[in-house]
Amino acid sequence: MSAITSNAPRVRRMTLRRRRQLSGFLFALPAIALVIGFIGVPIGQAVYYSFTQWNGLTSTWIGPSTWTQAFHNSNLWTALENNALLLLAVPFALGLPLGIAVLLHQRVAGWRIFRSIYFLPTAISWVVLGLVAERFFAYQGTLNSIIHALGFSHVNTNMLGYESTALSALGITFVFTMIGTNTMLFLTGLATLDPSLEEAARIDGAGRWRIFRSITLPHLSRFIQLAFVMTVIALFSALFSLIFVMTGGGPGYATTTMEFLIYQTGFNQGDFGTAALYGLILFVLTGIVGVVQLRLIGSNE
Amino acid sequence: MAEIDFDGVTKIFGVGPPAVDHLSLHVDDGEFMVLVGPSGCGKTTALRMLAGLEEITSGTLKIGNAVVNNVLPKDRDVAMVFQNYALYPHMSVAENIGFALKIRGDSKSEIKRKVAEAASILHLSEYLERRPKALSGGQRQRVAMGRAIVRSPQAFLMDEPLSNLDAKLRVEMRLEIARIQRLLGVATVYVTHDQVEAMTMGDRVAVLRDGQLQQVDTPQDLYDHPVNEFVAGFMGSPPMNLVRCRVRAGNDRIEVDFGDQTIELPWHYTSSHELPASGLDVVVGIRPEDVIITDASSPNTIQTRVERREALGAEILVHLSHVDPNTDPSAYAENARADISRKASLVAKMGPRVKITVGDVLSVQLSPEHAHFFDAATGVTLRKRSR
Repeated sequence: MSAITSNAPRVRRMTLRRRRQLSGFLFALPAIALVIGFIGVPIGQAVYYSFTQWNGLTSTWIGPSTWTQAFHNSNLWTALENNALLLLAVPFALGLPLGIAVLLHQRVAGWRIFRSIYFLPTAISWVVLGLVAERFFAYQGTLNSIIHALGFSHVNTNMLGYESTALSALGITFVFTMIGTNTMLFLTGLATLDPSLEEAARIDGAGRWRIFRSITLPHLSRFIQLAFVMTVIALFSALFSLIFVMTGGGPGYATTTMEFLIYQTGFNQGDFGTAALYGLILFVLTGIVGVVQLRLIGSNE
Repeated sequence: MAEIDFDGVTKIFGVGPPAVDHLSLHVDDGEFMVLVGPSGCGKTTALRMLAGLEEITSGTLKIGNAVVNNVLPKDRDVAMVFQNYALYPHMSVAENIGFALKIRGDSKSEIKRKVAEAASILHLSEYLERRPKALSGGQRQRVAMGRAIVRSPQAFLMDEPLSNLDAKLRVEMRLEIARIQRLLGVATVYVTHDQVEAMTMGDRVAVLRDGQLQQVDTPQDLYDHPVNEFVAGFMGSPPMNLVRCRVRAGNDRIEVDFGDQTIELPWHYTSSHELPASGLDVVVGIRPEDVIITDASSPNTIQTRVERREALGAEILVHLSHVDPNTDPSAYAENARADISRKASLVAKMGPRVKITVGDVLSVQLSPEHAHFFDAATGVTLRKRSR
């Protein structure tokens, strides 16, 4: 027995460190393959198609002319501007849920019912929410009924009908669609706050506002950061259904965001090459936002 | 600094029995008062009412000479140490300690000076810049103390502050807290379920049970003269032996039947205690250290068998059961080999060098001078109030 084993060719033993690195790599391989297959390849394709004239079936290489044309296209700048303006909705999409969560956390009368009401929009398709919002802002819609019921019968709004107000209406709708998710997130955060911290602060002489500022808010900071990231990403990449249902990007280009512009350019104008380029621009922008956010979060902890 | 006065203070949560039931308790200025009792006895609720964290259902609560029933916690000028310390996790040690001062509006230099002073009392000076997360349990405990003492409040309230520490550190901090309290001379109400803490730390100890105050006394008086069976059983470790006996009196003799054995009591007990009439039951309490081994010829001994033996190093706890004296003791020794453990009815505390093994039959004397007598029905002491 022993003769056989000693004559057998020695297996070259790797160091423990090497072996762990190798197995780590092997375990990561499926994930790496998926990332390359589903993210890397499409990005590469998008880069390629952005240099072509592509109608969805045939593509012709035309070089960087798409790029130069695109940056002279005012629609691109309008869409970018709309995206930037919509960022103004983010503080509201965070602040309102924060206030609601703090109130619900105080166990105000009927907090269970209110919790369900605030969370309900999360369970509803954004298409349905868009339809409801469209009816709300319409000329003969709910908003005007409310205004009239309050006694201002001569006032008539039509926010979705004018370039100057349509984007605001979209922003308001977006804030409401985000309330449920963010409220839940903040409520979860508040649930993890040790109640004795608040009691300690009360005994230390702190009033409500002081406790909120010095105890609650610092505790929630990670949750607020997470909500911020999620809200901004939603703003850049999930508004499509709302826009499609409420305004179709109009009036004019007043509510066309980058995301919607990609759709319009590709499917309405059949210019997939340019659409691919816009996709790349949106990808880079989202990437920058993501990196900046990661930096902000990373610097804190 | 101030005195604290509970007058008929009651707390009822929703429906059901009161958590604290007509508590009347006076804490002198500078006094260290310990509230002790099993969990659910209302001690923490009483403390939280004092802090202003729970509303008072009825009764009057005074700090200093002011009724504080409806005063907010922030205006009561009391400091509290929580069981889990409740340190603000995102603040440094210095910020934690100085938080109350900052709210109060003290100047920065003033805060710095006071924090440094508190830190030096608590040996925390090196850790002032650290976050609570980077501290050990004992250090966190000190920070919690620091947050309390820095304010020079009217009273310290402590809610089981040592229960999260390991045994060694607990002994250390027990002395430390008592030292600081005496140094500062601030009235302190200290809640604990640990009767050792109660005995060692308190100037006086209040024992609570089911929301009702049982007894308030100095630790030694509480130990020597418990007013009822509950206090007798709660204070002391291992607890006092409580045995139901029958009284037999007559011919200038008074005896209690201990199982099938009899112990004669000194006659003067009839004047110091209200013993029940002959033929009625009484609960006799004997501390484990008052159970003494003697030889069988001494008077007033009872025969017992060793059922269990717990060597604690400095002492041995011996669990004893009664033995019928009419049976031959050797029969019991035979039984011992069968290793049948019967229910022990007495626990004795003995010196470490006593040679005892399970199954031994011992004659023990229950020193009658140290016996306690309680009403068999109500558990109240039968000792007449002479003090």
